[in-house]
Amino acid sequence: MSERQDNSLSFKLVYYGPAQSGKTTNLLRLHDLLAPELKGEIMTMETKDDRTLFFDLLPLGFRAPSGLLIKFRLFTVPGQIAHDGTRKAVLSRADGVVFVADADRTQETNNAESFQSMTENCRRVGLDFEHLPLVVQFNKCDLPTAVPEAEIRQRWSAAPWPLVFAIALDGRGVAETFRTLLTALYRRHADNLALASEHGLDEAAFIAGALGRA
Amino acid sequence: MSELAFDREWSLAELLEPAILERIGPLLAQLLGGDAAIVDALGKTFWGVVDSKAGREALTLELEPIGYLASTTAAPGTLQAGAGFLTQLLRIQVRFRMASSLHLEAVAEDFETLKREHARLLESETRYKTLAGELESRVKAQVAQLDERQQMLYQAEKLASVGQLAAGMAHEINNPLGFARSNLSTFSLYLKKLATLKTRLDDVETAWRELDMDFVLEDGLDLLGETAVGLERIARIVADLKSFSNVDRATEELSDLNDSIRHAISVIERQLPPGVSLQVELGDLPAIVCLPGHLNQLFYNLIHNAVQAIQDAGHSGVVRISSRRTPQEIAISITDNGIGMGAEQRERAFEPFFTTRPVGSGAGLGLSTARNIVLAHSGHLTIASEPGQGTTINLSFPTPP
Repeated sequence: MSERQDNSLSFKLVYYGPAQSGKTTNLLRLHDLLAPELKGEIMTMETKDDRTLFFDLLPLGFRAPSGLLIKFRLFTVPGQIAHDGTRKAVLSRADGVVFVADADRTQETNNAESFQSMTENCRRVGLDFEHLPLVVQFNKCDLPTAVPEAEIRQRWSAAPWPLVFAIALDGRGVAETFRTLLTALYRRHADNLALASEHGLDEAAFIAGALGRA
Repeated sequence: MSELAFDREWSLAELLEPAILERIGPLLAQLLGGDAAIVDALGKTFWGVVDSKAGREALTLELEPIGYLASTTAAPGTLQAGAGFLTQLLRIQVRFRMASSLHLEAVAEDFETLKREHARLLESETRYKTLAGELESRVKAQVAQLDERQQMLYQAEKLASVGQLAAGMAHEINNPLGFARSNLSTFSLYLKKLATLKTRLDDVETAWRELDMDFVLEDGLDLLGETAVGLERIARIVADLKSFSNVDRATEELSDLNDSIRHAISVIERQLPPGVSLQVELGDLPAIVCLPGHLNQLFYNLIHNAVQAIQDAGHSGVVRISSRRTPQEIAISITDNGIGMGAEQRERAFEPFFTTRPVGSGAGLGLSTARNIVLAHSGHLTIASEPGQGTTINLSFPTPP
């Protein structure tokens, strides 16, 4: 995150995942669902066939009781294998990550490879992966070919990251994913940024501020 | 955050460069009824002249204004429309600037990846080069060691055959030596008789008769003649051995292969077991440049093998040795009607250390050495053999040009 002289704080949150797992859809739904004090327009850079070429950006923000402006800049990475350099550059300086996996059983290999590339890229761009706030979302749970939730939970039971099951197309699980990430983000940074003590923001206020009326 | 990072918050100055302002500024002023100015996020004049009474509209890209459009002449609605228009222009700018910065970062990342990959490949190449270098020197060392061992075995084999040869020779020499010694002791008795004759010179005729000096004279000459023949035989055996043992004289000489064959035969002839005979038909051969010592050993090995094959068969037999000259080559064949070889034995006959004989009779280098000697003289060696029928070894050497 970056603190600026103009009394604002900016968190960079990155939606990572294999190609066409629904990262951009997550951002589009969040734009519709959330109503924080400040909400910018989504900047998308799509190619003709609706695939993300560079990134999408959704800016959100609210003001803390102390007057500190808290900003969230939600980015997506391009999922296609060929764009690894771009993915790495977008991932640079991230404060939190949502890994959007595709629940379709045929996508298991792509999920695993993408997750692997994320951990490697985190290391390459100097992120402390072990302490990075991370939420894993399994999207497209409504597909008939989707891996059942129980099976996924069982398989990920040893992993430390929270799992959220979503159907991003109709918005289900999208806000919950974001809320889960905000919780992890708050717990990671509240103390060193003195959010509660100096800015009057406890965890609930922090999350409520970012989500708005959602 | 890096100053060049694509995700930095872009300032008004970065997005509206002087060249752009120069073109859109006057157009904006005209649209807003004559007066227009741009103020930055902190309220400082960015472009134009700002009147304190001018109306302001925010220019917001993400969440907060990065500047304001100001005008004294525009109606509020017009100013709002102008600001909206300028904001859209700024958004297009920022999209372009972010994309191109990100592109640069991505290219740099890709380049870093390539460099890492390159470094990794260089490292592995170096590793394999080192390994290959070591491998080469290791193989060389092993080959040198094997060469040395083979040389030692070859020497051992040679010593063994020299030992066999020496035993045979000792027997050969003992025989003439025995009768020469016996003749000489008889001859010394005859000389004593001569001494007795000297004491009876007064009646020489009677004494001569009584001492049977006619016989002594005749037999004495016989004894000396026989002894001389025996010594001659010993001298020839020694000479044969000497020329045969020229193996180590590794200088090339112009020599007739028949001479080498004769040398080998002369050595073997003396050791022929009963029931084995040699039949020799040597044609005229041109002299060739060769190592006579090696060739002596070659023919000795081959003829010795043939003799042994007949012995192994347990019946009498003949070894036929022939040489002839054809327009292209010198052909030599050594044929025996001995025990012969089966297919498996024939296949392995040239393998070093392959032997069918008991331990101690030889290291199994005879044929292997023979072939090496033939190859060293640019020749060929082939074996034809049937179990129970016998074996023929054919040798060919190129004729001199």
